Amino acid sequence: MALLEVENLSIGYNTKGGYLKAVEGVSFALEEGQSLGFVGESGCGKTTIGMALMGLLPSNGSITQGRILFEGEDLLEISEKKMRQIRWGKIAMIFQAAMNALNPVQRVVDQIAEAIMTHSPAVGKRGAIEQVKDLFQIVGIPQERMRDYPHQYSGGMKQRAIIAMALACRPKLIIADEPTTALDVIVQDQILEETKNLQREFNIGMIFISHDISIVADVSHDIGIMYAGQLVEYGAREEVFESPVHPYTKALLSSYPTITGDRSLLQPIPGETPNLIYPPDGCRFCDRCPGAKPGCGEESPVWVDVSPGHKTLCYHC
Amino acid sequence: MELRKYIARRLVQIIVIFFVILTVLFLLFRLAPGDPVSRMVDPDMTPEDSEYLIAQLGLDQPIWVQYIIYIKNFFVGQFGYSFHYGEPVVKIIWDRLPNTILLFTTAIILSALVGVFLGKIASWHKGKKTDAGMTIGALVTHTLFLPWLALIMIWVFGFKLGWFPINGMVSEEVWLDPDSGFVAKALDVIHHMILPLATLFLIHFGAYLLIMRSSMLETLKEDYILTARAKGLEEKVIRDHHAAPNAALPVVTSVGLSLAFSINGGALTETVFTWPGIGRELVFSVSHNDYPLAQASFLLIAIVVLISNLVVDVLYAYLDPRIRY
Repeated sequence: MALLEVENLSIGYNTKGGYLKAVEGVSFALEEGQSLGFVGESGCGKTTIGMALMGLLPSNGSITQGRILFEGEDLLEISEKKMRQIRWGKIAMIFQAAMNALNPVQRVVDQIAEAIMTHSPAVGKRGAIEQVKDLFQIVGIPQERMRDYPHQYSGGMKQRAIIAMALACRPKLIIADEPTTALDVIVQDQILEETKNLQREFNIGMIFISHDISIVADVSHDIGIMYAGQLVEYGAREEVFESPVHPYTKALLSSYPTITGDRSLLQPIPGETPNLIYPPDGCRFCDRCPGAKPGCGEESPVWVDVSPGHKTLCYHC
Repeated sequence: MELRKYIARRLVQIIVIFFVILTVLFLLFRLAPGDPVSRMVDPDMTPEDSEYLIAQLGLDQPIWVQYIIYIKNFFVGQFGYSFHYGEPVVKIIWDRLPNTILLFTTAIILSALVGVFLGKIASWHKGKKTDAGMTIGALVTHTLFLPWLALIMIWVFGFKLGWFPINGMVSEEVWLDPDSGFVAKALDVIHHMILPLATLFLIHFGAYLLIMRSSMLETLKEDYILTARAKGLEEKVIRDHHAAPNAALPVVTSVGLSLAFSINGGALTETVFTWPGIGRELVFSVSHNDYPLAQASFLLIAIVVLISNLVVDVLYAYLDPRIRY
């Protein structure tokens, strides 16, 4: 049984302009201890998926169809009380805005200890603080900084503290939403490296969400490329990077520079992402697709298997 | 310690500002129209008598001499005698100040506590009936005209129902009775205090409620609230432990300022309820050109404003660890 199975998940938001279909028909699975990366531009629905997994969609958001099976249990069916126990106890999150993710008027140690005590009250305050000491050691923050307030930390330290907090309850799954976006590249690299090692060491399933394809490439076993609320290509990292099939994946790859590869001009993707309140018929990438054929804009594409485990949402690939 | 250094620096600033206020006050009173002696003189007084009086009060001296005497007197704690009462100004102020502090500190702290509590609840039920009811209620009571409300309170609860005394702070029969102990006297003061207290409370709590509500709504959008949710905390814990302490910070400023201005701002309340406080004395002394009493009252206000600002700043540093001076 997979750790996490998401089937045909659709999510939307009530907005002033109408009902925005942020995510449509997304399915994927994650095995224990594996990692999965979602890549896509802003507004493609990747953060929405993360929030839905935590059961933390904003009040105007709703799940219209699909199932989220975590350890065989549908998270959309269970009670709020049960969901609270799963949050952080089983599924933890590293946030997009890590710089502000810690409460400014509470000491870092108390905030992490609070997570531990919420999920295992038997540990007690003293036991929780002992555990925080160990966590600080694991993520490499000096223990004497435990009693500091968040503003006394550098950006990298804050992110490490968040990672320590995410590990606090030994979760089965960690969702990392743009975990390093606010950091400079050197620190970014260190944090990613450490995260990768921790994930292996503690056998945690991980979902990385980023607009930066190079980050996802660095840390994930499998990769899902998202465009306008849909997954458009899905497969093992090597497959997707070395033989991309969907025109959007290809365009995305050629819009990023590489150090080792051939020198080539970066190709920006022309056009804009479609309006998700009134999504276009047929393939959503059709307008921007260099290989669009007649009919692409009318009939919805279906999943095509490229090779075992590697599939794409395109007729003509 | 940094905080101690900061307080020391602020105290020096306060002394400088205080000197400026001292000087401005002196000049303002000399520039103000009217003449204190004309209030005191009898129609039968001769011009010589009146000149003697002026000389007695030191008002015949050149203005800079008056200024030097004024500063000197301030430092030796000599504020002179009230022109009107003929009593030492210090004694008058000492008599009245505790009454003002008692009434206004109680009223402001009470309304802040209730306002913060209700504001927190209103924000939590944003857009629902509870929120709408509280917000409208707060707006209505906060915008009531204070003297009008005070008169209505006196009329309904003092006059019609006869539950509370309509004026003053003590009943003579209780205080002059040698048998009445501390408890009886305290109860008597509380009995007198309830109407003005209720009036001030009704006017003020709405402001705190609205500040707290909007501050909470801002705080609830913060990322660390999302973190708290993700940690699996209960909503009540999120509201009381993660959102409220951050959201209450602006209320602290507001309370500090209200306390600072309660001395003069309380003039209306004290007048309507004939509460023997400093605000009423201030208005009286100004309208009667009672220079020594008015000067001393204004200086008192200045001191209270400066000190309460300092207290708010220090309190902030204590409540919000990000603030270091």
